[in-house]
Amino acid sequence: MTRRVASIALNTFKESVRERVLYNLVVFALLLIGAAILFGSISVGIEQIILVNLGLSSISVFGLLMAIFIGIGLVWKEIDKRTIFSILSKPVRRGEFILGKYLGLLLTLIINTGIMTLGFYAALLYQKRTLALADLLALEAVYFILLQLAIVVGLALLFSCISTPILSAVFTFSLYVVGNFLDDIRWFGQETGSAVVESLTSGIYYLLPNFGDFNVISQIAHGERVPGYLLISNSLYALLYVSILISAAILVFEEREFK
Amino acid sequence: MTAAAAKGPRISRLRLACGVVLVLSFLALVPLQRAIDRELAAQGDAGELLYLPSGAILRRLSLGHEGLLADIYWTRVVQYFGRKRLGGATRYDLLGPLLRITTELDPQLVIAYRFGAIFLAEKAPAGAGQPQEALQLLRRGIVANPDYWRLWQDLGFIYYWDLKDYASAARVFQAGSERPGAQLWMKAMAASVAAQGGGVQTSRLLWSEIYRQADNDQIRLSAKSHLLALQAQEDMESLNALLRKYRQTVGRPARSFRELVAAGLLRVEPRDPSSVPYRIGPGGLAALSTGSKIDLQLLQ
Repeated sequence: MTRRVASIALNTFKESVRERVLYNLVVFALLLIGAAILFGSISVGIEQIILVNLGLSSISVFGLLMAIFIGIGLVWKEIDKRTIFSILSKPVRRGEFILGKYLGLLLTLIINTGIMTLGFYAALLYQKRTLALADLLALEAVYFILLQLAIVVGLALLFSCISTPILSAVFTFSLYVVGNFLDDIRWFGQETGSAVVESLTSGIYYLLPNFGDFNVISQIAHGERVPGYLLISNSLYALLYVSILISAAILVFEEREFK
Repeated sequence: MTAAAAKGPRISRLRLACGVVLVLSFLALVPLQRAIDRELAAQGDAGELLYLPSGAILRRLSLGHEGLLADIYWTRVVQYFGRKRLGGATRYDLLGPLLRITTELDPQLVIAYRFGAIFLAEKAPAGAGQPQEALQLLRRGIVANPDYWRLWQDLGFIYYWDLKDYASAARVFQAGSERPGAQLWMKAMAASVAAQGGGVQTSRLLWSEIYRQADNDQIRLSAKSHLLALQAQEDMESLNALLRKYRQTVGRPARSFRELVAAGLLRVEPRDPSSVPYRIGPGGLAALSTGSKIDLQLLQ
């Protein structure tokens, strides 16, 4: 089973790196990270903070775009081009197919995030002329960005099994936005004083992915460490949520009939 | 062939028409844009203010990138202040709101409190002349960064320099000196302000510390201007004492400092800290020459 999943993942990776949009996004992200040096020069006293904020935000935003643009077509393309029939006619289970697709895209995102992170450190080195051990703190933020992207890929994959690419993109992006407002949604519910609304908003709070907990860029820009418990709990949260999404995607895909 | 020949000139005419429309439209765009710019400029800062939402809302809308937005707002503060100051403005209406938004977006951005407070508090044209707004900004900064003792230093400074409230300044310096990592001179400053109020030595010590710690050119330049003004004030007090002595000895007021040199009261003709000679002004007192770069109004 592992070999079959690995084989699908590798093929998905190869297929993803052929996407021209990927290179455009990486180049644009690297340009933006480089531009942070210029942006810092028109401000006062926060040149490095700007570079860290803009650099990590670029990695996050462009990673999100990559995850959505490629993730939404993962399964849809196979169905649309009817290549799904030749894949499923081989000794591959539907679950293995979904898992392989997910891992393939995740690998693509890890490598692209790695390239953007290298670009970020190159810009930091250019600005500071030297790198210190404290600069490795940014890797904590990069790790959290990857955890966020892992969930986003899961969402995109799930919607890709259900809907068209455009609708999948809309759903995934909407959930990403809502996932950043979950604290507020729960707070609104508490403020209404209505038990029904409060239960509803609490339900939404626990049901939807909470992306707000992964936002540590500003903290890192000020040289503050991410607490150890947050590293562990967020890793666990992402793992659990990704498991839920992949399981749901497999369930949907198992039930799906192809004509 | 005939059809193609007939089509040829038609396409050329169409191309020509499109070209003419394109060029004319571009030419019309320039005056139109200028008219819009003039209209917007006439609206001034009030128009600009209308687009400023609160930092709390922006923070929500930033989807986790509030640090980056704070950097953008901070850069806007710097550009706004620099542009206004270079343009000789006497009003900085947007400075307070922009600083509030910046610090609401990123409460840990201490430079915004420090830079903002000094330039909010300073009298026009060097600053916005809003010391109360500066106090509020610093108090918010202290709440968000309770262990950053330098915000206490800045708070004490506003009380001391801009509000001349020496009792509050001494109290704030004392409270700041008890924060972790606070330097010893804060305690000395608390004692000095409590004992002497607004003495020149205390002022010099304060501005010297600001100059020494300044991490950007604008603050360093401002501190240097104040230090030079303090130096000139001290010089002129000493020169006035010599002028009085000359008057008592010779029986008439001196007409120039050359006479004091001739009388042996001075070794050379005195120059202010910007290297421009002092002159004797109305009332026979030492004064700055017209070409002097020293701004004594900073000490008002």
